[in-house]
Amino acid sequence: MWGVTFADMVYRYRQFLIAVVGAGLVLSMGLLLAGLAGGFAAETQQTVGGVGADRWVLADNAHGRITGVSFFTQAAVAAVGAQPGVTRADPLFVLPQQVAQVGDSTVNVNLFGVRLGGLGDPTAVSAGRTLSGPGQVVADNRSGASVGQQVRIGSTHFTVVGLIADRTILGGGPIFYMDLSDAQRLAVGGRALVTAVVTTGVPARVPGGLALFTSQQVEQATLASLGAADSSINNSKALMWLIAAIIVAALLYVSALQRVRDFAVLKALGSSSSLLFLSLAIQAVVITLLAAGLAVILAQFMGGIFAQPVAIPSSAYATLPVVAVVVGLLSSLVALRRATGADPAAAFGG
Amino acid sequence: MSVAELSVDNLTVEFASAGYTIRPLDGLSFSADDGQLVVLLGPSGCGKTTLLSCLAGLLTPTSGAVRFDDIDVTGLRGPARADYRRHTVGVVFQAFNLIPSLSARANVMVPLRLAGVKRSVAHQRATELLASVGLDERSHHRPDHLSGGQQQRVAIARALVHDPPLILADEPTAHLDYIQVEGILRLIRSLAAPGRLVVVATHDERITQLADRVVELRPHLSADQLVPQEVVLEAGRVLFNQGDPSDFVYLVESGQIEIFRVDEQGQEEHLTLINPGRYFGELGPILNLPRTASARAVGPTVLTGCSVQQFRTRHPGQPTGAPEVPAGA
Repeated sequence: MWGVTFADMVYRYRQFLIAVVGAGLVLSMGLLLAGLAGGFAAETQQTVGGVGADRWVLADNAHGRITGVSFFTQAAVAAVGAQPGVTRADPLFVLPQQVAQVGDSTVNVNLFGVRLGGLGDPTAVSAGRTLSGPGQVVADNRSGASVGQQVRIGSTHFTVVGLIADRTILGGGPIFYMDLSDAQRLAVGGRALVTAVVTTGVPARVPGGLALFTSQQVEQATLASLGAADSSINNSKALMWLIAAIIVAALLYVSALQRVRDFAVLKALGSSSSLLFLSLAIQAVVITLLAAGLAVILAQFMGGIFAQPVAIPSSAYATLPVVAVVVGLLSSLVALRRATGADPAAAFGG
Repeated sequence: MSVAELSVDNLTVEFASAGYTIRPLDGLSFSADDGQLVVLLGPSGCGKTTLLSCLAGLLTPTSGAVRFDDIDVTGLRGPARADYRRHTVGVVFQAFNLIPSLSARANVMVPLRLAGVKRSVAHQRATELLASVGLDERSHHRPDHLSGGQQQRVAIARALVHDPPLILADEPTAHLDYIQVEGILRLIRSLAAPGRLVVVATHDERITQLADRVVELRPHLSADQLVPQEVVLEAGRVLFNQGDPSDFVYLVESGQIEIFRVDEQGQEEHLTLINPGRYFGELGPILNLPRTASARAVGPTVLTGCSVQQFRTRHPGQPTGAPEVPAGA
């Protein structure tokens, strides 16, 4: 029976090829969507982890989100730094979703005001140099800025002195690192306020109104602010699996319609209904597995079409064959009745 | 070696079609002996294929029995029936019905593979059989690259591959030219040998010359069997029922005849009334089809029944083939 199954696939290879390409494209979109969701987690981890802090002290009403923009006095930096167990404490001023003019482009950027040489000051620049004083920014590559370029935020002009890779947040929003005083001037008129204190070592306690978080807690809380987007992406991903199933099911249904006489003949020759269904199911699974293989290849080339960072998690690759098998089996159910309902007596007659 | 004997006893098959009950087989009985070539003869629609389906274990009759060798075919169910199809019967279908995606050899191998025979053994057997039907050079070709006669040879090889004691062939020459017909008939004739019974369904009367036994499913009554007769009916008496064999054309001398049909729920559907001087029931005997409607006397009625030929002699120009009464009468 397996000979019949695979010979039929070779015989109708054009039909099957169309289904493999169609389902492969859809599955690759599913992979890319998984990559987008993965990109949210990856960029947050890189950005938060890139600060190099053991602990984060945030206003307790920020609930661990560094993008929460909840200020507190800069004096808290010294208070936290004085705590036993703390070897270093530095201020951070995070100001998300600011409009920057980069050349002719208007770009939404996230500002990170840092103490020069302190935690959070970006040192691993990919081009140019690190910050050396006010009026300078180190920009993420995705902003489109180049070293030496003048950028404008509000009415203030900055010089791009360095570029850095993979420093984005909130779904691919590039980060501009600048001196703390610049961020304070842009956001709060130069007042001595900060949105976070980052430490090496673990403070025993923090001043009232503030709360202590690990980097992992900060990552998770910050990611939670993207919950709606993440949910939409996951729903879209499920929709992609469904569309793939519909494509394969449509092919199998048409194929089963074309093979009604074959099914009748095979039954007349002694095949059971379950064997016929198994044959269809195997065809469906082979199609979806081939489509999954194609999807993996396509996803490598299609990631660049998204502005957001795409980080396809290895779990997505691992589950794709499982998804393919499930999609294939569900698809074959559509043709089940055609196969099992074939009347062997129909093999007679012209 | 087992003795391949076939008996068909009072076989009736009924099914619903377009709201009416059709009875393609109505109490058919015959038997055939080992080694015989049996020809089932009859026009299209007379139940040949239905009978083959019953013999092949593909259709359960409404009543009656089919026995082959010591197997009660009509009593088989589930796996036993599949086993019968896999081991006891070989079928040659009218339209060849080869699997289009498979080569000739792979088509012949299918029944053996379905029966669980090892690939190498099935391959060897299929190769031998294709050689025996003269197709060893074409064994790797798919059906669409074979002529009709070659496809039929592959179909015959497939039917023989598990060496079944019963071979069924449905109109085996229907799609062949006369040169191919000769070869196929010679091959089929040679299959009927001790240990094997061959049943061929056909509407081609020429094949009967090769048969050991002919079973006419819709026997023609000769003109001398149809002596003109006067029929007197009381009110409400039925002249014939739908599904009955067609014999006479009837002319209403006096009284009135109602033509009606009975649907599968048993409900009567009135079609028309036949008045004195009108005739009815000519299409059934002309086409050798069963009655497709029933006829009943409305009141005391006198009719004359005669064969189509007799009717034409008595009433030149009639029947013309154009229906004197609505279709079915």
